[in-house]
Amino acid sequence: MASNDPTSPSPAARPLSPHLGIYRFTLTMAMSIAHRITGAGLYLGALLLAWFLLAASMDATAFSHFSGFIQSFFGRLILFGFTWALFHHLLGGVRHLIMDAGYGMDDPEREQLAVANLVGGFALTLVVWAIAYAAR
Amino acid sequence: MSESDKSLRSALGRARYLGSARRGAADAWLTHVSAAALVVLASAFVLTMLTLLDKDYNAVRAELGHPIPAIIVLLFATVATFHMHLGMRSIILDYVHGRAREWALIGNICFAGAVAIACVYAVLRIGFV
Repeated sequence: MASNDPTSPSPAARPLSPHLGIYRFTLTMAMSIAHRITGAGLYLGALLLAWFLLAASMDATAFSHFSGFIQSFFGRLILFGFTWALFHHLLGGVRHLIMDAGYGMDDPEREQLAVANLVGGFALTLVVWAIAYAAR
Repeated sequence: MSESDKSLRSALGRARYLGSARRGAADAWLTHVSAAALVVLASAFVLTMLTLLDKDYNAVRAELGHPIPAIIVLLFATVATFHMHLGMRSIILDYVHGRAREWALIGNICFAGAVAIACVYAVLRIGFV
């Protein structure tokens, strides 16, 4: 166990968890991956918020570039994806907080939480977009 | 002992060099705290954005010039960029290795920091200029 000597200047080789390929596909695993992908999507989507605020802080021309983009079909598609990623990731975060508190990790509950996360993310997205189109 | 008193790592895990490397538990804790805050802030942000739909340049500026929407957007933008920096940091630490990891970590700080500053600057400029 010389490599685990705590006084050794270089750290011991750390044990690595096996990678994705060897696991059977499960819903909770897919949700874990989706949580990370939606998080990365929101990371890039933050540029949209910065663009919107900067455009509004500049002049009407800059703002018209942003509103022209966001009202185009492609812009709406991006914004719809951003909305879904936001709600999916938000509910996924709540799910993680519940599980970190020690609840919902047993057999039926963890699947139910995963389904609630998946359905809730789409439902909240559709509700917000329904409100948006109804308010026009 | 002073360090281990504050650390969430067990003494045995530290002695064996197992568990999170150095300050990993601190990152996880900050991710959780900002996540809890963002449940409220992201919801408030979406409601604020819904009030801006189809408004033109002047109307959007007038709305974001009010204290409550401005503070909601400022809080959301700062806490969200902090949270996304931590999240991307853990993605980088999982998948990027070697010298590329160092550049990725630096790029992550620059990106999240630039987005945060841009959002804060813009909201303040709308409110005060």
